[in-house]
Amino acid sequence: MSPDVSVGSAVSAEIEIRGLSKWFGDHKVLKGVSTDVKRGEALVVIGPSGSGKTTLLRCINLLEDFQEGEIRIGGEAIGYTVDPNGKRMRRGEAEIARLRAKLGMVFQSFNLFPHMSVLRNVAFGPVRALGMPRKEAEERAAALLARVGLADKVDAMPSRLSGGQQQRVAIARALAMQPKAMLFDEVTSALDPELVAEVLDVMRQLMQEGMTMVIVTHEMAFAQAFAHRALFMAEGEIVEQGEPARLFRDPQSTRLQAFLKRFKQGYQL
Amino acid sequence: MELLVKSLPLLAHGAATTLYLSAAAIVFATALGLVLALLQLFGGLILRALVEVYLYVVRGVPLLVLLFAMYYALPYADIQIEPVTGGIVVIGLYFGAFMTEVFRAAVLSVPKGQWEAARTLGLTTPRILLDVVFVQAMRVAGPPYINTCIMVVKGTSLVSIIGLADVTFIGKQIVERTLAPFEIFGAVAFVYFVICFALSRLGRHLEWRLNYVP
Repeated sequence: MSPDVSVGSAVSAEIEIRGLSKWFGDHKVLKGVSTDVKRGEALVVIGPSGSGKTTLLRCINLLEDFQEGEIRIGGEAIGYTVDPNGKRMRRGEAEIARLRAKLGMVFQSFNLFPHMSVLRNVAFGPVRALGMPRKEAEERAAALLARVGLADKVDAMPSRLSGGQQQRVAIARALAMQPKAMLFDEVTSALDPELVAEVLDVMRQLMQEGMTMVIVTHEMAFAQAFAHRALFMAEGEIVEQGEPARLFRDPQSTRLQAFLKRFKQGYQL
Repeated sequence: MELLVKSLPLLAHGAATTLYLSAAAIVFATALGLVLALLQLFGGLILRALVEVYLYVVRGVPLLVLLFAMYYALPYADIQIEPVTGGIVVIGLYFGAFMTEVFRAAVLSVPKGQWEAARTLGLTTPRILLDVVFVQAMRVAGPPYINTCIMVVKGTSLVSIIGLADVTFIGKQIVERTLAPFEIFGAVAFVYFVICFALSRLGRHLEWRLNYVP
């Protein structure tokens, strides 16, 4: 049960996580997590609530600070640098913003900007953070919205859309930044069951196009069918990881066995 | 009736003064409220504490006492302020404290997810405030802001006590000469009512305009 499990070579790793530890007050929520996400890899993170999987995801783009360890995006350390005296320094805000822009993130609660049309939501990042001319950004936004099946909704306000449509807009908004990797935080958990598929379809399409993805989810069937690797976390540690189908069929640790059992029972109730 | 017609030019002059005082005090209080709210939200520990002390002091002292302090006490400290300016500053300082609370609460009402979504797009705090948070906060701040503006307008009537010729002061003087309090104070009340009513309507209109969810 060593937490120091790394997969893949450093050369092709888009996201490198080394010895990541985080405390909320006295409570240690991440205990030395290490893993690599290779370019084009779709990594699924599963685990019981409170296992630290969402916190891990949020550390990757520094929505949460962390106290120990290192995260590198395309070789660049996000958040912290170490000065010649070995002192750990937080990067400046502009620098962190620049690094964050390399990662797309999609949230459980969509978080679309309610005062902007769908098109402006998607064009907003490129215009404001990358300085792209508005016209160009909106043309690209329209193309992205067509890709997620929302070509007819460009002028709608977010509040007029269903949850599934809003989440697809959120994915398009993240893609508009042309990120190196995408982070998904339980993106189907707030959706009505019949709307889940339309969001998962878009994610599957992204995987097939070779997008690097880290996906925190409870959609086990989806994870098993499409993800390249699954990572099971409990109590702030990586307990087990591997190819999803094997992991779910043949769990080695008692904790994963118990988790999968509870999960199946939940389905049958 | 004849009395009212005769008093009209004087009352109109007083109403103009009231309008001027109100407008200037609202501008001052709004600017002060914005700055203090931002300091309280994003300032360092010491700045935040200073703002907090200011808010407690100002909210805990009646406006009239502050006006007296400006008018009677400051000259002893060899500070001479022209009464109109002094009135505007004191009323602005006083209601600026209330505006601070209005703006601060409005910014805090914007969900955390909005900040996070903007951060993940690579935006920095000032940009997020301008493009994402302020627009949403304005909708929340609208009604209590207009409410505070109405309190400013009515609060300006206190300057009559330190001798500024606003509509209340002029009304009182006319009454002292004509002994017709009912008609004259009725007219004075009407002036305040019209200004405040116009503000309320403006507020409703802006609320409607800012309502981006059709």
